[in-house]
Amino acid sequence: MAPKKQKEAASKSRGNLVEDEGLDWLKPRALIKPDDQEEVPDADLEEEVGRILSTINPQWVADEVAYHYGRGMFVIKPRPTFGKAYPLYIYQGTAIRKDSDEAKAQIAAGYGMVGFDDAGPKRAKVKKSAAEEEEEEEPEPEPAAPAEEAKPEEDEVAAEEQKPNEEKPQEEPKEVGEEGEVAAEEGGEEAAAEEKEEAPDLGAEEVLDIKPRVKKLANQFNFCERAALTYNFPRRSVDTQTIPPPRANFGSTALQSIIFDYYQEDYAKKLREKEEEKPKRLRKKTAKHVKSEQQIHDEKLAQRIREAWTILERLVNQNIYDDIAQDYRYWDDPSDEFREGMGSLLPLWKFQYEPMRNHAVCDIQWNPHYQDLFAVAYGSLDFTNQQKTGCLCLYSIKNPAYPEYSVVTESPVICLDVYKETPYLICIGCYDGNVCVYNAQLSLETSYQYKSDSVRDKHSNIVWEVRWGARLIDGEASFFSISGDGRVVQWAVMPGELQATTIITLTSNVPPIPGPDGTMITVNSCGSCICFHPEREEIFMVGTEDGMIHTCSLKYNRNYVRSVHGHHMPVYRISYNFFNNSIYASCSGDWRVKIWEDGRDEPLFMFELGSPVGDVKWAPYSSTVFAACTADGKVYVYDLNVNKYRPVCVQAVVSKKTKKLTRIDFNQRLPVIVCGDTKGTCHVVKLSPNLRVMCKPPKKAQGIDQRTLQIMKLDKLLSLVRDPPFQTGVVDEKFEDD
Amino acid sequence: MAEETAAAAGGAVGEKIIHTYPLIRHTDMSEEMRTEAVELSVTACEKFSQNNELAARMVKESMDKKFGPAFHVVVGESYGFEITYECTTICYIYFGGNQAICIWKCS
Repeated sequence: MAPKKQKEAASKSRGNLVEDEGLDWLKPRALIKPDDQEEVPDADLEEEVGRILSTINPQWVADEVAYHYGRGMFVIKPRPTFGKAYPLYIYQGTAIRKDSDEAKAQIAAGYGMVGFDDAGPKRAKVKKSAAEEEEEEEPEPEPAAPAEEAKPEEDEVAAEEQKPNEEKPQEEPKEVGEEGEVAAEEGGEEAAAEEKEEAPDLGAEEVLDIKPRVKKLANQFNFCERAALTYNFPRRSVDTQTIPPPRANFGSTALQSIIFDYYQEDYAKKLREKEEEKPKRLRKKTAKHVKSEQQIHDEKLAQRIREAWTILERLVNQNIYDDIAQDYRYWDDPSDEFREGMGSLLPLWKFQYEPMRNHAVCDIQWNPHYQDLFAVAYGSLDFTNQQKTGCLCLYSIKNPAYPEYSVVTESPVICLDVYKETPYLICIGCYDGNVCVYNAQLSLETSYQYKSDSVRDKHSNIVWEVRWGARLIDGEASFFSISGDGRVVQWAVMPGELQATTIITLTSNVPPIPGPDGTMITVNSCGSCICFHPEREEIFMVGTEDGMIHTCSLKYNRNYVRSVHGHHMPVYRISYNFFNNSIYASCSGDWRVKIWEDGRDEPLFMFELGSPVGDVKWAPYSSTVFAACTADGKVYVYDLNVNKYRPVCVQAVVSKKTKKLTRIDFNQRLPVIVCGDTKGTCHVVKLSPNLRVMCKPPKKAQGIDQRTLQIMKLDKLLSLVRDPPFQTGVVDEKFEDD
Repeated sequence: MAEETAAAAGGAVGEKIIHTYPLIRHTDMSEEMRTEAVELSVTACEKFSQNNELAARMVKESMDKKFGPAFHVVVGESYGFEITYECTTICYIYFGGNQAICIWKCS
């Protein structure tokens, strides 16, 4: 019976295979049974066991007790609402039972039928039909295998059947009835088997039939996909090739001999260079020495020749100007004896430097040490047509033809001062605001020895006057400069540089002017001249372009010691009397020369010269004599002792049409005056005897020296003038006289 | 002058002068590169005075780091060469009186 069962099982499995073939044809499914599997009758296998889902929780314990600590006894736990099941999540599903009324209604309404757009079932149908066809045409090898397997089984069965049949005859006689029963049984069984073999086929057919009929509801999530295809841009490849870096070939051989040779060569070269270089210094030195021997000789020779030439030039000049030289020292105008109180000026030489023809003599000063030497600053006072260059010259009376020393400067020279201690040091002030110190001892090629820094500390306007001052505490020489920018600056002559210190900034009465951006611009008054007190080094006087004369002290850099409104026009020069330190003279562009006494707001004397007065100087030999030069080319010499109202001498030195006199200076020892004009000429004139009258000591006191006499003379004069506190008559009288 | 010259008096024969300073035999390098190359060579040859290979390696690696790769360095006492180099990258120097160092770049 067991083989039969096997056969049945095989046929059944075959049937299953056939059934599965449509859906899962890829894998052959041979059911493998474990050996120890319990044999279960087919009936039991076929039996359907229904599963019932009930609401009763089989796990639930009906009467669970728990110990109650409060009561001290076991009590039945209260029954939970849902038993032991706790709904964590409740979801209302959309599926409905097929056999429910609603489903039936939907089916009736046509939903759930297989449609053309139901891809799944359709495909299934196609597949199934294909499978059917395959099955019809020829069985697949997979299903064929079970069929082949089944064949031997059938043979076996047949053999078995035969066997019993063979045996049967033997047993026939014995158990016919039995056999018949068995045969009947067998026949029945076979029939049943056949039926069963058919049955799976039928079942498969049923499934195939049913499957296309799977009803599906309209699926609201059933969407169709849409897509668009964009253009594909055509691809292009772009490339470029750079030029490969240039290459070159080089070949050589390194051998000890080559290396050695090259080193030798190089070393020799180096040695040669060294020899060339080192001796350059040495050779230079030696050459210099060698040369300098020659040079020294040459220089000495040149120097001697130059000296010889100088002497020769002087000789020639003195021969030419012999009469002038004679006059210079010895000639006195005899006519003075006959005219009381009047004098004259004897013109001597004219000094001119050819390159400076168009420049004006902006300052002139006798050398304090050499009586026949004077320094001239060439600049320009024509501010609309300013010269590009200037010049500093030293002239000697011994040679009127050519300056002893001349140096051309970058900017017109406006003022100069010769240092009294070392008379070859000359400081100059330039039109561009720079100040320089020149050393006349140095050769002509060398320019300034010191110069103010053009960026850091130069004046921002014309330097109008420079004056050497006392030495500083450290022993350095220093000089002062006053400029149109309203500053008085002290320059310390340090080694190699000039160190500037602003002494005072000249304030003016003009209220601050509002600037373009709202700032207030303070207005400085423009300084135009400076004059130091002869004895008190810290006191100096400053004249400004608005006519003020300020007395200042080095010790106060903010306030003026005194301030006098001296003139109506720029004050050009202030000069202290050599004999009385409280008396000073000032001249101005308002045509006037005023004689002042310290501490007095009104001038003691006032002289109207009829033209802008460029310069005024006290005579060094007399306390009452001063000279002034005017723009109309005249030199005025006053002797207050002789005439308090009129000049003792008025002489036109230059033609007033073309030239103006700018500056004047008394020689310290000789009775000569030098004055400069605007055409670069310096005129040396000699004072006639009447202009240099010396005091005669009174008979009572014969031993009194000249200086005391001069002081006495001035004091006497001053006492006369001082008495009336205010003198208006001076000018009036002059005008009346004119 | 970076000249280190050791002079040894050789009796009657005369002075034998051994030069140890680097001596540029041929170069077209820029000033900066040349200085660097010479200094490197000096350093390397002094550091590896017994091993030219290491010296060359040191120079090469340093030059590669400083001026980009593919430098080639030859250090030796006697050799011949015929090379192709990228312009402005060759430096052929003698050092120590008996060593020739050739540095070039070719990539």
